[in-house]
Amino acid sequence: MTSIAVQHDHHVPGTAPPRPRGWRRFLAAGYVRCLWTIPLMFGIGAGIMALVRWLEAWHPIWDGTVITTISLATIPLGFLGGIGGFDYWFDYALGNPTKPEDHSGHGAKSWKDYFRVNTDHKVIGIQYVTTTFAFFIIGGLLALMFRAELAKPGSQFVDTQTFNGLVSVHATLMIFLFIIPVFAGLGNYVIPLMLGAPDMAFPRLNALSYWLLPIAGIMFAGSLLVPGGPFATGWTGYAPLASHQPLGQVFFNMGVQWAGASSIMTALNFLVTIITMRAPGMTFWRMPLLVWANFTTSLLVVLATPFIAGSQFFAMFDRVMHTHFFDPVGGGYVLGYQHIFWFYSHPAVYIMMLPGFGIASEVISTFSRKPIFGYRLMAFSLIAILILGFSVWAHHMFVAGMAPWLRVPMMVTTLLIAVPTGIKVFSWLATLWEGRIKFTTPMLFALGFVAMFLIGGLSGIYLGSVPIDIHASDTYFIVAHIHYVLFGGSLFTIFAGLYYWFPKMTGRMYDERLGKIHFWLTFVFFNATFFPMHWLGLQGMPRRVADYATRFEGLNMFISICSFILGASALLFLYNMITSWVRGPRAVGNPWRAHSLEWQVTSPPPIFNFDRIPTVVAGPYEYGVEGARHAILGEEAETADGVHAETQEVRH
Amino acid sequence: MRRRQFVHLALLAAVIAGAVTAVAVAIPWLPVSASKERERIDLTYWLATGIAIMIFSVVAAAILYSVWRFRVHPDDDRDGPPIHGHTGLEIVWTAIPTALVTAIAIVSAWVLHDNGTVPKNALHVAVTAEQFTWTFDYRDGPGKGVTLPDLYLPKDRSVILEIGSRDVIHSFWVPEFGQKQDAVPGRINPLKITATRIGTYPVICTELCGLGHALMRRSAHVLSQADFNTGNWAKAASAAPQPPPPPPSGGGTGGAASGKAIFTANGCNACHTLSAAGANAKVGPDLDQLPAEAQRAKQPLQQFVQTSIVDPNAYVEPGFPKGTMPTNFGTKITKRDLATLVQYLIQSSKGGGK
Repeated sequence: MTSIAVQHDHHVPGTAPPRPRGWRRFLAAGYVRCLWTIPLMFGIGAGIMALVRWLEAWHPIWDGTVITTISLATIPLGFLGGIGGFDYWFDYALGNPTKPEDHSGHGAKSWKDYFRVNTDHKVIGIQYVTTTFAFFIIGGLLALMFRAELAKPGSQFVDTQTFNGLVSVHATLMIFLFIIPVFAGLGNYVIPLMLGAPDMAFPRLNALSYWLLPIAGIMFAGSLLVPGGPFATGWTGYAPLASHQPLGQVFFNMGVQWAGASSIMTALNFLVTIITMRAPGMTFWRMPLLVWANFTTSLLVVLATPFIAGSQFFAMFDRVMHTHFFDPVGGGYVLGYQHIFWFYSHPAVYIMMLPGFGIASEVISTFSRKPIFGYRLMAFSLIAILILGFSVWAHHMFVAGMAPWLRVPMMVTTLLIAVPTGIKVFSWLATLWEGRIKFTTPMLFALGFVAMFLIGGLSGIYLGSVPIDIHASDTYFIVAHIHYVLFGGSLFTIFAGLYYWFPKMTGRMYDERLGKIHFWLTFVFFNATFFPMHWLGLQGMPRRVADYATRFEGLNMFISICSFILGASALLFLYNMITSWVRGPRAVGNPWRAHSLEWQVTSPPPIFNFDRIPTVVAGPYEYGVEGARHAILGEEAETADGVHAETQEVRH
Repeated sequence: MRRRQFVHLALLAAVIAGAVTAVAVAIPWLPVSASKERERIDLTYWLATGIAIMIFSVVAAAILYSVWRFRVHPDDDRDGPPIHGHTGLEIVWTAIPTALVTAIAIVSAWVLHDNGTVPKNALHVAVTAEQFTWTFDYRDGPGKGVTLPDLYLPKDRSVILEIGSRDVIHSFWVPEFGQKQDAVPGRINPLKITATRIGTYPVICTELCGLGHALMRRSAHVLSQADFNTGNWAKAASAAPQPPPPPPSGGGTGGAASGKAIFTANGCNACHTLSAAGANAKVGPDLDQLPAEAQRAKQPLQQFVQTSIVDPNAYVEPGFPKGTMPTNFGTKITKRDLATLVQYLIQSSKGGGK
């Protein structure tokens, strides 16, 4: 009878060894060590570069663009090495005796622990969520800045280069530093709990994948301060325009590499965790739908993300090393960039959406007090979206001049995605039907999500149809569509998830009244901001313009005002989150009386989640079934523990 | 009991459908249609709208009805009925959307085919996009051989635009024509337009192409067949300051055009202010202030102006980002035109914009 508690009785989890003093601080993992690891890595990179350029007689040997590119690759490596991201593997590679895992990296005693490398999935989850929300605030402020510019036609506050930069950095931060990683953060926190596992499969890899994220974020946001301005070619960075841009463009090329590496590592971690670390009895068909959603999302990430890495490397080589991947004069293939870019960036839309579907399923089922309607079809529809998602990328290129025969097949697959998506929407409705619906803040956001995502999905039908897309492509209709999908869709589910698991993550309750006011402000002013954009686009206002025809003046002013109120509503959210975290009333273990495993432990959960690995005996949504339970915990679980004990043993 | 719920739901859906239909019909969502292609696009649009209204009203009604009818007090601890699914219902809501999207796909494919079919009597116009202007080179018909900064089309006769680009990707769009096509360097993309309504419409660039993107606008004029066939439009437009014909591959000889025409034809006005040419854009430095700027660069005026066109990054006026101005004007503008342009700029700026 093995169990986690027995395995770990030789140490006290959460207690770090005493921190070194004096000069030894330069050797121990931490920010002090970065003082020499960063110059070291940069020196190695710059040295190799200078040597090669000198040998090849390329002049000047010190070229600003090349040095910048080298720094963006080496300085982060030095930083990661300094704070201790690679310590264990480095020791292992040197042939040193591997240290037995003492779990000193588990748990957080004070707020300072959140600024150190920590291998606890719950700490990492909170690191992810807070970091991504910081970038969400920055991205939102950038949006308000260009909305101020757009309030009137002509030039108001910023020049065109800055305007294009604001638009590009806004989109890039929201996509790569907010929506994609915040789902990874929420998943990080709850998925091991939902599976009945003590942690993720690879805790050290988990820590490393988090620390790549602030690097990417600082690169994107920092490009605002670069001479010549930030990258300004939209988040799509189409070649060949991007090949002839000021230095800031390299910050985009390299930032995407770090953010992409982070999401690939996390996705691998999720896949291995979900496949190998399910508690006894947790079959695939007993997994909560959020786990299913993260499973399919992770497959998308692992398969698709290398393509955007490739597209950005090639675009950067064209610029820094004067290659001709996308330069027609040198025999390059201009549309090749778009094909490779969208081969990632279309699946990326589902990477930003499927975890939200999972959250919506959890929340709607819990607050309707009913099982999810058609659970298996819900899981199958995720898989259908995963497969179809890879066959629709060229619908972003209907007007690009690609092979004409590609249009109709891509249109058919695009429209077909409406079918599995529709199945999900109808299943949520059927789950609501005859339920005992409770209007909590997470439920409001989940219902708002269904309605807003529906509008985004329907405008997607218009855009899926090639003739309509030819008219609406690259206009404000597209801006409206993506915001209905990513704001009304993804962000609403992020809010739902955050309110839903807030008691679990912090051990405290949020203010329900403020939460509801936040919802209604967001809901009303989200629609007021983005719905009129459909009209603007169809009427003839192109996207990504600092100036526009005077006949659009009034409506743009209205949109800008609404966007400012929408922005202000985020303050209410922040106030609620921060004050509740500090001094909200204590939360009980299961305030929502939900069935899934994360709610069966204390709030916040113990350091290794479960004293005994639970045994799962039924599905996660058995509401209304007499005497039904999802899992057996504690002493009872001892008897059913045998099969998976081995898996737990080899974990370290 | 259940039947009554469904009747209420259907009534609510009908009310919502009515309201949404009113919004869809009462507000003019699409601009005036001025081409056969747009008419076909509009057909697809209305089909999609019909389907969207149907689906929206059913889903919205279900949500609203549920929260109204099934909402309980926060202290109500009862669970709902343990309904796990219904295979028949699940098949229905898989099949119906499949049928609806298939219908849209078929109509769209048919419209796409019709909008791309080239009739025998079609006219051909080569469209060249560059930062930040358009040139239209008339290949046949009454305007044959003429190159203009604006597009002229006859009513009721198809025109094939052969769209290319000299630098980065642009996109040609006239909302009233519905048709849109990217201009991609290194290739020519065709686009068919059959105008149906006389008038002047905006040509808009919809692909972010750099700093002057928002200002990359020209006009498309639809004339009656009789007016178009006289060819007077070509002469009238030619009498006005004319751009030189675009060099097919870098070379070519421009006629003796006026400095102002060269200024406009090369799109300088998209980024610069120059009172003499009526240009007031603020992307690049103010050309009315050239003498002062040459002083700051510590160069003689003529040399400064010439270098700034041919090698714009040699000296960049403080406050403006480096690497913004296209670097290919040296090869694009003929030597003779360049000299004319430099003289024109010097003359125009002498007065400091007065």
